[in-house]
Amino acid sequence: MTNIVENLTPLDFKRVSKKKKTTSISRPSLSYWEDAWIRLMSNKRSLVSLSIIIFLIFFTLLGPIIWNVDPSGQDLDQLSSPPGADRGAILVEAYMPWDGLSITKNNSSEGLKDFYDLGATEYINVEGFPSTQYVRLSWNKIIGASGYRIYRNKFDPGSDNSLGLPMADILTAEEISFEDRLNLEPGEYWYSIAALDSLGRESNQYKKIAVRVSRAISIPEAIEKGIITQTSQVAIGDTIYLKFHPLGTDYLGRDMLSRLMHGARVSLFIGVLAPIFFVILGVFYGSIAGFIGGKVDQFLMRFADFVVALPFLLFMILFKIAFGIGPGESGVIPMLLALVLLSWPATARLVRGQILQIRGEGYILASQLLGAKTYFLILRHMIPNTIGVILVTLTFAIPSVIFVEAFLSFIGMGVVPPTPSWGSMCNEGLQTMLNHPHEIIFPASLISITVLAFNLLGDGLRDALDAKMRSKE
Amino acid sequence: MFKKMKETEETFAQVAGKQLLILTLLSFTGLAGLMIFLSWASNLFSDNNQRVGAIDLDSKTITLLLGSEPPQLDSTRTTDSVSIMILGHVMEGLLRYDENNNIVAGVAEEWNIHDNGATFWLRDDARWSDGKPVTARDFVFAWKTALKPETASEYSFILYPIKNAEAINTGSMNIEELGVKAIDDFTLEVTFERPLAYFEELVAFPTYNPIREDFFNSTSGRYGADAIELIYNGPFMMSVWVHGAHVKLDKNPYYWDNERIKINSIDMPYMTSDAATTINLFRDGKIAMIGALGSEQLDTALRERWKLLRTSDGGSWFTVFNFKDDKITSNWNLRKALQLSSDSSELVNKIIKLPGYIPSESLFPVWLKGTNGSFRQEHPATKIKPNLELAKQYLKKAKEELGIEGNISLTILVDDSPGSSKQAEYFQNLYSTKLSIDVKIDKQIFKQRLAKMRAGDFDIALYGWGPDFNDPLTFGELFASWNPNNNGSFFNEEYDKYVRISQTSLNKEERMQAFAKQQEILINEVALIPNYERGVVYVKDRRLEGLVRRVVGPDPDFTNVFINEAL
Repeated sequence: MTNIVENLTPLDFKRVSKKKKTTSISRPSLSYWEDAWIRLMSNKRSLVSLSIIIFLIFFTLLGPIIWNVDPSGQDLDQLSSPPGADRGAILVEAYMPWDGLSITKNNSSEGLKDFYDLGATEYINVEGFPSTQYVRLSWNKIIGASGYRIYRNKFDPGSDNSLGLPMADILTAEEISFEDRLNLEPGEYWYSIAALDSLGRESNQYKKIAVRVSRAISIPEAIEKGIITQTSQVAIGDTIYLKFHPLGTDYLGRDMLSRLMHGARVSLFIGVLAPIFFVILGVFYGSIAGFIGGKVDQFLMRFADFVVALPFLLFMILFKIAFGIGPGESGVIPMLLALVLLSWPATARLVRGQILQIRGEGYILASQLLGAKTYFLILRHMIPNTIGVILVTLTFAIPSVIFVEAFLSFIGMGVVPPTPSWGSMCNEGLQTMLNHPHEIIFPASLISITVLAFNLLGDGLRDALDAKMRSKE
Repeated sequence: MFKKMKETEETFAQVAGKQLLILTLLSFTGLAGLMIFLSWASNLFSDNNQRVGAIDLDSKTITLLLGSEPPQLDSTRTTDSVSIMILGHVMEGLLRYDENNNIVAGVAEEWNIHDNGATFWLRDDARWSDGKPVTARDFVFAWKTALKPETASEYSFILYPIKNAEAINTGSMNIEELGVKAIDDFTLEVTFERPLAYFEELVAFPTYNPIREDFFNSTSGRYGADAIELIYNGPFMMSVWVHGAHVKLDKNPYYWDNERIKINSIDMPYMTSDAATTINLFRDGKIAMIGALGSEQLDTALRERWKLLRTSDGGSWFTVFNFKDDKITSNWNLRKALQLSSDSSELVNKIIKLPGYIPSESLFPVWLKGTNGSFRQEHPATKIKPNLELAKQYLKKAKEELGIEGNISLTILVDDSPGSSKQAEYFQNLYSTKLSIDVKIDKQIFKQRLAKMRAGDFDIALYGWGPDFNDPLTFGELFASWNPNNNGSFFNEEYDKYVRISQTSLNKEERMQAFAKQQEILINEVALIPNYERGVVYVKDRRLEGLVRRVVGPDPDFTNVFINEAL
């Protein structure tokens, strides 16, 4: 029945021409990465996180170039000033020490009185212009007193006689003046003066005065700080503007924005480099273990278990000593090393599991039967199939490392002053939290936002890279 | 198409916003819920309800907070202020300080101090808390114990004015050679090593407290480690000592001057140095006093309208240099440059921000007594005005002498308290901006800092010295070449000579002149840069009266406290 063809000549053969597509595919073919990208982009949370991370990278790398302010420069005229504080300062003469006022001792026999007999002064004068440079007070002598106690309050002493901070005790009745230079801030202060008797007991009566203190800066100080130049036309009484600090300053008058930017460098340097290194190490280690298997695998994984059991903090201190890092030197490099050397086992386990699983898959067997070499198997099949897991580990490792860095700097193991890091800034801000909350809110929220962004991105990446979810939309 | 794009964008923003809002709301409610749960749980397990308030009128108890746990209460080995405070309440030496900080009779009823010795006649009604009398032999035993080399008492040097004490302490002489003798039960005779003008002040120091030999031996080496391992002769005795948590002092029924004591017990059920906790406890009326407020708590105190009080703790704080030959700080020009660029008033007014702190000009604080009035008024210290131009010239000279081309680099040793870290950062910036000196901060825990200072392992250090007795010598001695606390090994022959004069002279005027010379040498040689005299702003319950704050001796002192019930 078969039609046997005889005497075939090459002419009988004709190259099959490429046919036109028989069926058209309903949508364009997507590679794994294209598909992952589309799914990542359609996930709103990941998109927001990704933009936050991109913003952070700009903030860290370009920020200090644009906002070129020394992060450790101290502006002692603006200590702990919140964002948006008034910067106007009045130019005054250079500060000259004040000898104060005193009257010659009256030798007449005026007896000393006990505290319940002592009255209050009749008046209190403000000498000179009350400013943040100084507040100078004088008053009339109280007959029978042995001294005076000067109080300062931010609130009106009111009916319950809460006079506030005891600023000074003057132990002679003849000295009738007081100069206050202690941490003066612009605003209103109430000064009160009460007499003391010879045993140091305080009179029940006092005289108070409200003093409005203006922010002031002396010309030499302004020149030293570079606010005005030697030649500029300014006169005493002019208002000039102190340096601008968009996010305020910390307890030593250092610019918060600049510190946050420079602090981000340390936090992100560790936060990004350490995970990259230990993930690479972990992938390498895990794939060897998983691919070779058997006794080698057993041995390698038990070693990984051993590394997990090593205490991180102890090793970090040991590295610090081994590196010869003396006091007052940055511990960032030992921290990086300790993190890399002790954190890889988690990734290694994950990758090993993945490789073991893939190794048993049918397509690997088929590929092997078709003669694929080991390197081909690894490059074509194993790594592409684990890369999702690796990327996800990486994005989840970054926030946890940022946290570790923040914690270590918080307890003083990481960066050293004056280098800022978000963790050390939190530690410093904690002490001034009640009165100057901005000093802790900014670094703490940056840590939180960064950690949240990396976590959400990791979450989104996991969904996007999961090949099994590919066709489920 | 364009319209559609815009629509999706809006929805996107809305969705993202909504998600954020929900997340925020959820976390807030979660946190609030957690807080409520925790406060409920903490109420379940704490005995707060049984605790009385700051002042209990019925039992005449005052409740206080203890900053830290006393390491131990063996008076021969004690060094810290908390232990000295407690010892001041539960023990009594031969002499003590009264409420006006004058020396008055303690266990000794009468005493006589002459050129080469002293005699103390003890009162016969002084009793230990088990009813046995306090005898002269208890003092002899305590002093000998403190001087034994194996006790390793850090304060043994305070006994050195007694004949042969130093030799015994260093192990080169037998303990029986000590110049102190109990003539009978109630007469104690002391022989001095050399004439001494301030022995009364020394005797009030806790190292001079009595210890009863039979009790000491019965504790088999645990003397002072627990409430039951101590026997008391002071106005109070310790009834509770839960380590790290609770100390309670009750009135000692055997105390000879019991009428002076108006309260029955001092309860200290809180042990923390956390400023926020302390403020909250006081605000809630759980403690009767806060011993010292920090600059960050002042605003809170003002808002609460508390009556604030201030006192000086007597301490003098300064920057010390290391004078060892291999350290660059041994260079006078460099020290001079640092001195001329420092401004103690800026440090106090802008960095420390606490009233009561005094920018200081000398090692000797202003409260010290001189011949007639105040020492510093009679012998004012040379004022060093900050002068940057001059400082730079000295720095240039120093660099030439030291052969340093680039920037000089220094390490500043501080302890890890927030206050000193802040000051260290201030100095770091000051020296680097003004003199281009690279400063590294060596931050150590308190004990480690002391160890490093003893070992001479520092360039400059922020250091403070509190007075042990009410005499300028307690400060002047510090820089004598033989003093173990002269950590920077400052050595100046003339200075040593004047310290010797102030130690041995009995002439008040001559001694004060010697101190003035010491002050001058320290400033001229730039042995230190004075920073501040430490002050304290504190607050107490209005009903608590008779509280005594001291520059020397146990501080605060509650022995004279009474409760004003009218308020």
